[in-house]
Amino acid sequence: MNNEVKNQDVMLDLSGFAVVKTDTYVKEVLEVMTKFPFGIACVVDEEGQLKGVFTDGDMRRLTLNRQKPWAALFVDDIMVHAFPTPTTVHADGKLVDSIHLMEDKFIRDIPVVDEAGKLIGLLHLHQAIKHLLGI
Amino acid sequence: MKTKIITVGDDDVKSVAIGGDNPLAYIGGPCAIESRDHCFKMAEATKKICDEVGVPLIFKACYDKDCRSSPSSFHGVGIDEGLEILAELRREFGLPVTSDFSVPEWAVPTAEVVDFLQVPAYLCRQTSILRAAAAGGKPVHLKKGQFMSPWNMKNSTRKLKAFGCDEVLLSDRGTFFGYNMLINDYRCFPIMRETGNPVCFDGTHSIQMPTSMGDISGGQREFIPSLVRAAVACGIDALFMEVHDDPPNALSDANTVLDIKHLKRILIEAKHLHETRLELLEKYGEEETIL
Repeated sequence: MNNEVKNQDVMLDLSGFAVVKTDTYVKEVLEVMTKFPFGIACVVDEEGQLKGVFTDGDMRRLTLNRQKPWAALFVDDIMVHAFPTPTTVHADGKLVDSIHLMEDKFIRDIPVVDEAGKLIGLLHLHQAIKHLLGI
Repeated sequence: MKTKIITVGDDDVKSVAIGGDNPLAYIGGPCAIESRDHCFKMAEATKKICDEVGVPLIFKACYDKDCRSSPSSFHGVGIDEGLEILAELRREFGLPVTSDFSVPEWAVPTAEVVDFLQVPAYLCRQTSILRAAAAGGKPVHLKKGQFMSPWNMKNSTRKLKAFGCDEVLLSDRGTFFGYNMLINDYRCFPIMRETGNPVCFDGTHSIQMPTSMGDISGGQREFIPSLVRAAVACGIDALFMEVHDDPPNALSDANTVLDIKHLKRILIEAKHLHETRLELLEKYGEEETIL
């Protein structure tokens, strides 16, 4: 395995995955998430700071646990339901470390942030595997 | 959850703060301005009761009733005469005043006189009305339409905010339960409160039976006190009730308006329950969200 590959070599840029604002309605977030094949939305504030993530799994748990009418759930701000302290990595971190982190946390996506916590990309397991396998 | 605080009125009147830990505010008066003399008489009587009970008052009376059931029903004194009366009453009594408007062009001239601009429930999601209300530059009292879910009122508050108004009181005046019948779903208060805006209960329109009498609306006034107590206990920041000194002969909403002789007792109970709720909040803190 090439241990020199950095997260920045394989991460998706901001146009390649769902990025939404903290006050975006849940319904709109689901629509944006559906445009991408990753099942995750990164939630940012007006300055682009990462404030949380919302995943297909969060939606599944919400559906089972809250039993809130769809019409009411759809107009909730996403930040009400987003996970506010997601695991993150930096762009210059080693990809191999990030993959170990994914394994430890049972996750397939990790937001990439800069030193100030601003979202700059997303690391997705499939892209990482493809890069490492050279396919 | 604590709401934002909106302030109704300026230095020319006894301004009223609504929301947060403030005392329960009362918004009341006759449904319609029937005449200058009657409006002044009602203002004097309402103010006297509120002073005795110790409840801050925003005096309410409308100059145009645009949602009457019949073309022959009293429509109001009109915007020009109505605003003159409200302006004079405001000066004389030092009370903040409020009125609704039903035509976008009326919003700004109305807001030049009143301290609080009311948006009728039937029009609560109309973009042109909300844009006009925001342009008035005064806090807005937005009533939940009888056809609206409480969570969908967030759309209306977002419209108001987009148009520059972030001082909004959200009211429940009942929800259609089939034809000619309203019920109150008290879940609407915590749900509407999630918007961060203070909330209000309209105790007299909630007991209305819309157009149940054929060409006029009926109502079941006997339920006003119990519904008010339940709403205050649930958690509201303001109470709205229309009052009249002679309900059977009121020119508007005769079947729902509260006889003013009952106002004092209802306000005493409402004030007491509101204070008890605030004391409990102070002693035990905000309730945890139960999931």
